Amino acid sequence: MNTQQSFFERNRAVILFAAIALTMPLWFPIIGGYSGLDTKIMIFCIFVVGFDLLLGYTGYLSFGHAAFFGIAAYTTGLMFKGFSDNIIPAIIVAVIVSTSVAVVIGLLTLKRTGIYFSILTLAFGEMFHSMAMAMLQQWTGGENGLTGMPTPMLFGTKMQGDAVFYFSAFMAIVMFYVAKRIERSPVGLMMRAIKCNQQRLEYTGINARKYKLLTFVISAAYAALAGAMMVVYEPFVGHEFLGWHLSGEVVLMSVIGGVGTLVGPMLGAAFMLYFENVLSADIGEHWLLYLGIIFMAVVIFMPGGFMEAMSRLKARFKQQ
Amino acid sequence: MAILDIHQVSLSFGGLKALQNVNLKIEEGTTHALIGPNGAGKSTLLNVLTGMLEPDDGSVMFDGKPLLDVNPWDINQLGIAKVFQTPAIFPEMTVLENVTIPVFAARDGSFRMNMFESSDHQRPLIEFAEEQICELGLKDKMHTRADSLSRGDKRRLEMAICLAHKPRLLLLDEPTAGMARHETEQTIELLNSMKGITKVIVEHDMNVVFSLAEKISVLAQGQIIAEGAPNEIKGHPKVIEAYLGEAQV
Repeated sequence: MNTQQSFFERNRAVILFAAIALTMPLWFPIIGGYSGLDTKIMIFCIFVVGFDLLLGYTGYLSFGHAAFFGIAAYTTGLMFKGFSDNIIPAIIVAVIVSTSVAVVIGLLTLKRTGIYFSILTLAFGEMFHSMAMAMLQQWTGGENGLTGMPTPMLFGTKMQGDAVFYFSAFMAIVMFYVAKRIERSPVGLMMRAIKCNQQRLEYTGINARKYKLLTFVISAAYAALAGAMMVVYEPFVGHEFLGWHLSGEVVLMSVIGGVGTLVGPMLGAAFMLYFENVLSADIGEHWLLYLGIIFMAVVIFMPGGFMEAMSRLKARFKQQ
Repeated sequence: MAILDIHQVSLSFGGLKALQNVNLKIEEGTTHALIGPNGAGKSTLLNVLTGMLEPDDGSVMFDGKPLLDVNPWDINQLGIAKVFQTPAIFPEMTVLENVTIPVFAARDGSFRMNMFESSDHQRPLIEFAEEQICELGLKDKMHTRADSLSRGDKRRLEMAICLAHKPRLLLLDEPTAGMARHETEQTIELLNSMKGITKVIVEHDMNVVFSLAEKISVLAQGQIIAEGAPNEIKGHPKVIEAYLGEAQV
């Protein structure tokens, strides 16, 4: 808890991230990344940063966050089709709808902790998935997904190519900054205290339940924003946006990068997407196997993920 | 005037009557010890006072306000803090962060959505937390992670957490259990120096009880069997029979 830092010092991580993100179209192709993947990485950065507030700070592992991503994606798609191709109202409505659902789910699932919480969130996630596949098929397109949307627009600009990338990068930077602000706030302090010792917190005059619900809803709002942006990026919503596979992927990204660091999960997201989409072509059909090995190695040897690896390297350099 | 009024409180766990029609008045500003053999219901009674357990019957009034059916955090906000048998702290946080939590709890109440306020910009609050830490002799450990403190220091930290909220009633569940002799003496000194805070202390160590308490209540099998000043309790035949006889004091 240092005091009196300059704006630059306080926001070093955000500024560094902004510099890396905004220059991505320049250097990403050099390492084999294609245009579009950079946008996807930015969108997932938003998703995992919000997810880390819940997992890394309060210690609650949700296996159902795809629900909030997916609900927002479908809402955005339906807004484009039925209301307007302007992305602003679509994103706002999508985030509001998805976050409202999160309040209800949070109230129900946060009654339990540990594995029971994880299973409950997984169950709710799957419930929404099967609803999209069957009950709400006429709205969601079921197995085929939601298609036939107009090209999204922002103030007369078509949201394609670079425009989508810079919009996504801008949102990712803003949302990372917001997460850093939350981390430094009294709310951030209470989040970490929940992970440390919830009983002591309650006996110290803090209503931990409300802080947990707040965190859950914030992280769902991040997931929702990412889901809405995904449809801006590519006007299509598939049922897998709601699936447990996506929920699991977000967990993997966070763990590989290092939970509770905000930056780590973003590194994890970038790495996983790069691996899946670029390195997989070089490695061949067994790429998932290699990804699995990397994941296991990280969990066994570096439970703090990439962030732990980096701080260990730093320590070693300082020694020499 | 009694700050805490426990009236006819009963609580059973299945067939076991943990508390039976317990009546107890704690006077403001005093140190009141609860003693009794193992399983007498001392810790159970403390847990009723903090909102962890709901009694089957009876009432508890704190400063004229009922405490039953009130959440633990609201009870703490009313001014009741508890020191646990095993020091309850926030292990992965620094000493300063540990004490900052109750300072914010005192300012903001049990919940506030101040997500964009910078904690470290609240100088007066941080300074108050630092003062509390210094008062308990942890000045050098300000930025140490709490889980690396010694047992005695963890106890001090827990006290600092409790005191930072300026409680009116402090409940202590065997605060010297597992402590070395000099640590016990330091704890007694510390507790004696905290004037103005009403204390209810559950303790097995009779040295601690007799050097701290102004009044003692003896619990046995969920009932209060004797009550009085320390010298009255020492000679009380019922107490000797139920408790002191086996403890050889």
